[in-house]
Amino acid sequence: MQGGQASGTADLDQLVRSAREQIAAAPDEATLEQLRIDLLGKKGVMTATLRGLGSLPADQRAARGARANDVKNEIESMLTARTGALADARLETIGEREWMDVTFVPALARRGHLHPLSLILRDVKAIFSRIGYEVALGPEVEDDFHNFEALNIPAEHPARDTMDSFYLEGSPLLLRTHTSPVQIRYMQAHQPPIRIIAPGAVYRRDATDPYHGSQFHQVEGLCIDEDIRFSDLKGTIEYFCRSLFGADRRIRITGDHFPFTEPSAGAAVSCGICGGAGCRSCKGGWLEILGSGMVHPQVLRNGGIDPARFSGFAFGAGLERLAMLKYKIADLRAFLDDDVRFLRQF
Amino acid sequence: MAMLISLAWLRDYVDAPEPAAVADRLTLAGLEVERIIPHAVAFERVVVAEVTELRPLPGSGKNQIARVRTGGDLSEVVTGAWNLRVGDRVPYALPGSRLGERVIEPKTFLGVTSQGMLCSPIELGLGEDAGGIMILDRGAQPGADLRQLYPPDTIFELDLKSNRPDLFCHLGVAREVGALFKLAVRPPEGSRRRLKSNPALVTIEAPEGCRRFAGRLITGVRVAPSPAWLQARLHAAGVRPINNVVDVTNYVMLELGQPMHAFDHARLQGGRLVIRRARPGETLLALDGKERPLSPEFMVVADATRAQALAGIIGGEESAVTEGTTAVLLEAATWEPRRIRMTARQVGLRTEASTRFEKGLSPALSLPAVDRAAQLIHELAGGEEKDAADVYLEPLVPAVIELSAGELERTLGLVIPSADAKDILVRLGFAVEGQQELLLVTPPAFRLDCHIPADLVEEVGRIYGYDRIPSTLPGARTAVRELYQQARSADLAKDVLVGCGYEEAVTNTLVGVASTLRVHMPDAPKALRIKNPLAETRDALRQSLLPGLLEALSLNARQDQPGAGLFEIGAAFWSAGKGSDFPHEPRLLATVAHVAASSAGAAAVELRRVQAALRLLAERVGKAPIEFQPAQPVDGFHPGRTATLIQDGEPVGVVGELHPRVLAGFDLPGRVIAAEVVFDRFAQPDPPVPQARPLPRFPGVRRDLTVVVSGRILGNELMQVIRQRGGYTLREISMQSEYEGPQLGAGRRSLSFGLHYQADDRTLTSEEVSASYERIVEGLKERFQAEVRS
Repeated sequence: MQGGQASGTADLDQLVRSAREQIAAAPDEATLEQLRIDLLGKKGVMTATLRGLGSLPADQRAARGARANDVKNEIESMLTARTGALADARLETIGEREWMDVTFVPALARRGHLHPLSLILRDVKAIFSRIGYEVALGPEVEDDFHNFEALNIPAEHPARDTMDSFYLEGSPLLLRTHTSPVQIRYMQAHQPPIRIIAPGAVYRRDATDPYHGSQFHQVEGLCIDEDIRFSDLKGTIEYFCRSLFGADRRIRITGDHFPFTEPSAGAAVSCGICGGAGCRSCKGGWLEILGSGMVHPQVLRNGGIDPARFSGFAFGAGLERLAMLKYKIADLRAFLDDDVRFLRQF
Repeated sequence: MAMLISLAWLRDYVDAPEPAAVADRLTLAGLEVERIIPHAVAFERVVVAEVTELRPLPGSGKNQIARVRTGGDLSEVVTGAWNLRVGDRVPYALPGSRLGERVIEPKTFLGVTSQGMLCSPIELGLGEDAGGIMILDRGAQPGADLRQLYPPDTIFELDLKSNRPDLFCHLGVAREVGALFKLAVRPPEGSRRRLKSNPALVTIEAPEGCRRFAGRLITGVRVAPSPAWLQARLHAAGVRPINNVVDVTNYVMLELGQPMHAFDHARLQGGRLVIRRARPGETLLALDGKERPLSPEFMVVADATRAQALAGIIGGEESAVTEGTTAVLLEAATWEPRRIRMTARQVGLRTEASTRFEKGLSPALSLPAVDRAAQLIHELAGGEEKDAADVYLEPLVPAVIELSAGELERTLGLVIPSADAKDILVRLGFAVEGQQELLLVTPPAFRLDCHIPADLVEEVGRIYGYDRIPSTLPGARTAVRELYQQARSADLAKDVLVGCGYEEAVTNTLVGVASTLRVHMPDAPKALRIKNPLAETRDALRQSLLPGLLEALSLNARQDQPGAGLFEIGAAFWSAGKGSDFPHEPRLLATVAHVAASSAGAAAVELRRVQAALRLLAERVGKAPIEFQPAQPVDGFHPGRTATLIQDGEPVGVVGELHPRVLAGFDLPGRVIAAEVVFDRFAQPDPPVPQARPLPRFPGVRRDLTVVVSGRILGNELMQVIRQRGGYTLREISMQSEYEGPQLGAGRRSLSFGLHYQADDRTLTSEEVSASYERIVEGLKERFQAEVRS
């Protein structure tokens, strides 16, 4: 041991001076960290100094010990101060060093889109599920009974003229021309109370133009219970139309004719473009959107339901028509073209 | 079918209010007014002129000079028409008059000054006839302004429903207006003469096609142009005037709804009519100038030797009423609607008559129509009713319908007093007996559409006004139910795929059988064909969604949208054996992704992306997790890049790159990745509900493992060994990346996996994890001679 040094504190003063210089000169936080390890770390100068105290005589030990602790604290606070200063300086220039062009915004990775028919159907389902309707489905290949006979459309009925059908080769079956056969199938399998909507694809042997196609989609509704009235049909249609198109729309119920309802009624909503004044997109301010009526007693019977006890109403709308009105789609053909420039708008 | 109704004409029978109100109420009552057309002639200063002299225009073979008298004045005009005779009344456009945009000035032809112009119907906008000068009836006063003969009017264009043929006439609409506005209706008067039906005049040999035939023989008629008022009305209703007799038959049809025909009696062999089927080989030269072969299925009206009219559709040229006709045999028949429909369709001819007959007219209309026509012919063409026939084999028996007040209220949801209901029905022509609680109602003979109380409820409801019925919602007695379950999985699946970047498509169910791509679905049998397709490219039901999606990709590529990714969930149709059996309609889910670049590497990246999306889909809606296995060769798919989707050990679908030959068929450049699964087999009906597990209480350990293998060793096989050797604390193994390259050497691949270790009861030590890791490395070396890089 070097007694002279051990008893004095000159070496400690020297240590502080040298540390102060080194800390002040440290250019960055990494250098400071290295200094902290050299000076205060487990294998550092201060640790060795403090460890050396034990071998000193008791009278010297206290004074040197006190000084050593002071030195340690002083170095620590110098390090802390310098770290803080360096951090401040760094943050001072962060804007310069890390500048980004915040106007250049590449798109997220590709996002897909739901087809507008899915979107409109989700709306329709949500609207009817709020008033207790469930969804029923039926086959797209149907027989004559469900598609026509049971709906009061016997062979040679004029209504068949408007529903020219595709028949399967070597089979009496056809592609359904409307979703109404789901009514019959559901009635045959369930007793009232019945509240269903039945969406799906339908097929007619029509030439394709902006308003017609040989394949399109309908959504059918059926509500049967004791004491269902025309006023309930009217209320349901109003609820549906206003929910889908907006609370400010007016609804017009007019006389109509369908073989499977009696009385029958058509429904139109006031045009959203002209507000009902009449324009190119509407017919005298009105947009016809669905056909409806009280289920014909014979149709109830065909479905196995007693018309003396139960009554009900049914309605049907074209999903494409609803989507065209809601999303301002001009041409029916867009629905089956699947042009991604169209699909990506939804 | 659109029906044109003249307001002026309507007002003959009912004091209809102003047009907008009429249109509004008619529409609400189910007689939709599609358009309200203001109707006024577009000419000024055109007067009635009498032709007093005709002489050739010197030097012209084409034109002649007509001297005409208008009131006291005489003028000369040059005309190119040759249908004029001295004494005719014709429209004369005075000098300075206006025909639409055209102003008539004096003009000189070969030195002769023509003051004004004699007009044809088309020049006046009064018809399509451009063939000659319009001949007015002799009663027209020379000098009178022609506009007085054609007063302004309003035309309603009605879109009527097929169950109400009684509305295809002015009286029918007048009755509705009377009921809607509570106005009296004045039906027109017909002849009161009652002649005994002469069985020799008309014979029905084919009663299956004719319900009733009313005929009337009128002799001593003078055929001439109709008076202006009659021409004006026909014109308003869109019917071309011919002569007074033919015009009367058309007028009566537009007035009462019963189509009629007039035969020149002198031209009928035997002077009588036979109602029969056409004979094999028989033909008819029809009024439209076309000669048509007749099928024995067609009904004809014949004389003793041959067909003179195609029943209910069009008359024959031979026995048509012309200027020389003096005896007319009128027909008002009721034809069987189905046969009319069939015949009109086969002949390809729909006429005013056929469209009415095919809706099913009441036989009750025919006799009043003949009476009315006889009356009008007598007034306009003179003549006398000489003979009559009315063959009516099975007269209608009116049925009484009971309508209770309760029924009205129960069906409509509002109380309509019995007296009001009765008033409505009576105004519509129904006979109503009984009071208060129960009405006994007999429909009018002209209405064949009312049979049950609900039919009467409709009549009362629509006239009373649907707008006056309250809006209610049905009582809430229904059990609370969920939406149909399958729909929810499909909705969720769509959301997942949209999130993965694919666009939802809806494609045609009908495809071309020639282009149908066979897809290796375990039980898809042969295609179901359409018996009567519209096009060869749409002659079969799809068995797979892929052909339709590929068509869409191809369309997009042509529209400069390469690289599209589409999916669809929809029904396919798999034959169930016999033709009469309903086919299976499995719901399929398919995706197609176009890779514009033709490199194998670019396609590989997309294939991995589609597979990852399918795995995610299985996690969200699947019945069980899926695995991919290299597939046996699948039609249409790339032999080295196709996998079968296995779920619970069963195949549920296929995913892979499509074979370049398939793409060539769809005219698609680049490459396409496709997948198809049987959705109902693959997905739970209801998507699984997430079940939360407690979070681990101790930290886990992650390790990466990179294995280099030679040859076609599958990731699945490596995974299996890792799982077997890893021990129970190895909770999760994920496939991370794949590398091939020159550094590794030919035929070698490095595959990286992420390993996640976790214990429930302690913090894992690094020794424990390392021991597991070493076991795995050893196993991989043993089984696959794999090299492990750390």
